[in-house]
Amino acid sequence: MENYSSELDGLFQALADPTRRAVLARLGHGSASISDLAEPFDMALPSFMKHVRFLEESGLIRTQKQGRVRTCTLERARFAMLENWLSEQRAIWEARTDRLEQLVLAKQEFLRHEQKQETGR
Amino acid sequence: MTQTFNPDLDLTISRLIKAPRSAVWNAWTDKASFEQWWIPAPALCRVAAMDIRPGGAFETQMSENGGDFGPHLSACFLAADNQERIVFTNALTGGWRPAEQPFMTAIITFKDHPQGTEYLAHVMHKSPEDRKMHDELGFFDGWGTVIEQLAKLVERQH
Repeated sequence: MENYSSELDGLFQALADPTRRAVLARLGHGSASISDLAEPFDMALPSFMKHVRFLEESGLIRTQKQGRVRTCTLERARFAMLENWLSEQRAIWEARTDRLEQLVLAKQEFLRHEQKQETGR
Repeated sequence: MTQTFNPDLDLTISRLIKAPRSAVWNAWTDKASFEQWWIPAPALCRVAAMDIRPGGAFETQMSENGGDFGPHLSACFLAADNQERIVFTNALTGGWRPAEQPFMTAIITFKDHPQGTEYLAHVMHKSPEDRKMHDELGFFDGWGTVIEQLAKLVERQH
């Protein structure tokens, strides 16, 4: 249990950085080489490599070297530790529906207020 | 059209919204309104296309930090019944063109209710292997935020 929670901490730390999250999102579409992954980021390669190593140590990706090219692959099983996929999708739609409801009610309130002003004159 | 429900792959969100059906429909179909609720703040949403008719394009973009907008949802409307139903899928893009990474179909229904509108979202997903997949949809929309908050919490505890 102790071990599990420290693993989770590592995962959360790995995901707390926008560069690392962007790398994971990119790898969600398929494996990619380090140079392809680094391209969109305005940072020196050694700094980018630190992020890659962090992700690898947290178990979220695995890397494989063939010749001079190192390829990164998303370790999908790792994500299962964090959440159940469908409940996550549900949370997204629940929150979305909450926001829709709030917006509609706020607009209704605004209209009622406008009408009151009209009739009050 | 019979709708089937698969508990392993589908989810339904049902909500009574205390406002007339036209108001809920407008919040969905008016681009400026839609942009306000589709993606959780502080990320920004931009509707690049919302052609609500069968075959019409449905494209949303998002900006995480107020900078450049990146892709978010790229989909195609399959059905649009005024103030009653909207169906879209990301298995296709505008004009029924097959998409790279099919993932889900969503059926949104709006029904009159004595107290307002019964809003129902039925979302169908592709297959079990997709359930482990985090493309931008699953990854940033909510998930990223949740993780960020958890990370902050974890950092404070260290």
